Amino acid sequence: MSEQAFPKAAEADVALLLEGTFPYVSGGVSSWVNQIIRAFPHIRFALVFLGSRRSDYGEPRYALPDNVVHLETHFMHDDLGRHGIEVAPRAGNMEAFARVVALHEAFRQKGTPDLSAFEALASELMPGGSLTSEDFLHSEQAWGFISANYRRFCTDPSFVDYFWTVRIMHLPLWMLARVAKELIPVRALHTISTGYAGFLGALLARSRGIPLILSEHGIYTKERKIDLYQSEWIRDNRNVFQKDSTELSYFRTMWIHFFEWLGRMCYDAADPIIALYENNRLRQVADGARAERTFNIPNGVAIGRLSALRAKRADHIPPVLCLIGRVVPIKDVKTFIRAMRILLNRMPEAEGWIAGPEDEDPGYARECRELAEGLGLGDRFRFLGFQKIDELMPKIGITVLSSISEALPLVILEGYAAGVPALATDVGSCRQLVYGLGEEDRALGAAGRVVGIADPQAFAEAAIELLQPDNWHAAQAAGIARVEKYYADYMMFDRYREVYDRALTAPVASAAEAAPLRCPVHRKEGG
Amino acid sequence: MSQLKLACLALLFELSAGLQLLVSRSQSDLLFVSFLLTHLLASAVLASLVLLSLHGRVPGSRRRTWLFIFSLSGFIPVLGMVGVLLGLVCLPLLPAPGSRSRFHSLSLPALDPHEYQQTGAFRQAGLGQFLRNDRAPVEQRLRALVGLQNAPARFSSPLLRDLLSASSEDLRLLAYGMLETREKRLNTEIHTWRLAWQDAGSETARRAAARRLSALYWETIYQELAQGDLRRHAAEESLRFLEASLEDADASLHLRHGRLLHELGRNEAAEAAYRRAIELGLPAPRVNPYLAELAFLRRDFAEVRRLLMSLREYPDQRRLEPVLRFWSEA
Repeated sequence: MSEQAFPKAAEADVALLLEGTFPYVSGGVSSWVNQIIRAFPHIRFALVFLGSRRSDYGEPRYALPDNVVHLETHFMHDDLGRHGIEVAPRAGNMEAFARVVALHEAFRQKGTPDLSAFEALASELMPGGSLTSEDFLHSEQAWGFISANYRRFCTDPSFVDYFWTVRIMHLPLWMLARVAKELIPVRALHTISTGYAGFLGALLARSRGIPLILSEHGIYTKERKIDLYQSEWIRDNRNVFQKDSTELSYFRTMWIHFFEWLGRMCYDAADPIIALYENNRLRQVADGARAERTFNIPNGVAIGRLSALRAKRADHIPPVLCLIGRVVPIKDVKTFIRAMRILLNRMPEAEGWIAGPEDEDPGYARECRELAEGLGLGDRFRFLGFQKIDELMPKIGITVLSSISEALPLVILEGYAAGVPALATDVGSCRQLVYGLGEEDRALGAAGRVVGIADPQAFAEAAIELLQPDNWHAAQAAGIARVEKYYADYMMFDRYREVYDRALTAPVASAAEAAPLRCPVHRKEGG
Repeated sequence: MSQLKLACLALLFELSAGLQLLVSRSQSDLLFVSFLLTHLLASAVLASLVLLSLHGRVPGSRRRTWLFIFSLSGFIPVLGMVGVLLGLVCLPLLPAPGSRSRFHSLSLPALDPHEYQQTGAFRQAGLGQFLRNDRAPVEQRLRALVGLQNAPARFSSPLLRDLLSASSEDLRLLAYGMLETREKRLNTEIHTWRLAWQDAGSETARRAAARRLSALYWETIYQELAQGDLRRHAAEESLRFLEASLEDADASLHLRHGRLLHELGRNEAAEAAYRRAIELGLPAPRVNPYLAELAFLRRDFAEVRRLLMSLREYPDQRRLEPVLRFWSEA
């Protein structure tokens, strides 16, 4: 489907704010979005897709359901320089920058921050506001603010790097403000992550006075931290005398704080804030979400469709371990590859498959292929690319997940429903999915094995143990029982029906309640 | 008085002195005295002008400089004054006085915040214990963990691996990121050299690539990155490439050969490789501890003692001192 053929509408019921996921990227979150849209055919959805560059994505991976009445795509790195920013020196609005200063001071406060300055700034960022991107890029006020902050806080010697880091970091916010201004009228907002999509949600909620629902799968801020801890593009210009070996580089810290604050602004505007399981809910609260707005709705899968796949299985247990997921660092595919080397030493008939797209991080995918080659796995290890679950599940013995971070992986549930036990690392809710959560759940038995992260030896040994027929059959039975009892999709849909009903029947906040349109100072003056 | 006025005055005096001689036809002494006084007055003004123009370019006493120019202009007829005037005209062409500038007072420089860390450095003593302490604040443990970046990989890798099971997710993820970065560097280099080894155009290039590959696989063992069966795999690969490139004269390669065979449990071959390393000149303190380990595995404790006691002859055995003391008392 070309972008010109995307549906357009004058209004919709719910705007789904999607960052780097449905419909362009396949994976657990995208499948979930697809499930949710199709589960509520009476709701008219407007999709706002936020991506990095157009060239990073191919064609949409999902057919759009009929109730998607509007789809718009925005590519942040492509769009940054597009909108005719006038390059001319300017003074900048002193009041607007005073609010920027107040907001940054609020960020530095310990405890619960006062984000009223953000409320005041939300609409000023939009085209026609008093804090435009031109002001940010070319005004004397912006220069003064950036250079003063550099002098006060920056521990990296390079002002040039600091200056450009600040510009690159903040510029997408104006692009999002423009998206917020131009979005068609909707009655409610639903963002699937914090980050840029969450910030867009906060902007829209603040400026239009409509409810914002946040459903977080992974914790966005945590995942960005993982990327930032491992990234090699962030410079540290301190010399040996300036460097404190226990300090992260200033720019790395700056990026981490930036995403933390995007998250806080989203949490501040969203109600309800939904997590997939309890640990993630606690993490949301620790990161600034108000506890009374949070609750859990676990994922669910279509039991009827997937259970039919059990009949297609062969009589014997295929010695095939399959990682179903994107080939990206967070999945720690390398640990699976290393584990396969150990497994093949002891079970030469075993096979390792990776079923998932490799185009999201081609550099990492290349490293994985090189590692598999370097370990001499040969034809016992295969990169299959994207595969249909229904065709794949009957052929595999164990669904593996070697991730360093997960939430509540759909692929484990899909495996259970199709009669395939799981071997997973001890991240997210994997332990809960494999061994059960409460007393009753635990009584169903272990539906696989859980091992520590980045431990190929333990991973391989657990796989050998699980492939023993007695263990495998017991795990298969436990998995089927668990998914049917606790993780059926209709349970999830019932909970979301309540969430949408509440959001769509909520009265639109009046201009006074919407608050963001005026700064707190003016509000006081107005009585 | 400005320099221009002084110049005009000097010129005026000198012209009047000349005019006195040209206009008057008398040859009286009075006329000569009048000319001389007017000329000397012109020379004095000229000397003052030159001194002003010099702006301290000439080192030493200003009075002597003035007297010198005055004498030059006053007592060398015609040429003296012309020379001084010529010098005055050429003065701007001389090097600028800045090259001889004096010291100036400067205000105190402002404190450069980049030189100042806002938080104190973590004390590295007991780092391992601190990191493993689940009751210590996570923020401080994170800082301590970042501090491990500069520690030798051989010592920090086991600690990082321990932290992969830490209760704090942030700690786990940071430790994972640090280990992953190390493994990634080595794996990338291994892949590059594997390609070089496959595509080598000559036997020399092939041997060089094999030697490098052996060193890289050995590094994954030395840095404690490869564990369990993967450690064995790395040892086998390192040994394979080492044996393909082993040069008989290289003592350090024979030592690594011994260590790889030792790692793989081929103890007799390992001992032969260690002995070959000693024959090729490697000092006993570098090899005897491994030979002693092999002797220990054979339960040949007398040989263990003999090998270790032989190290007493060598200075600076501080790291081995507790072992030597134990075996000397045994």
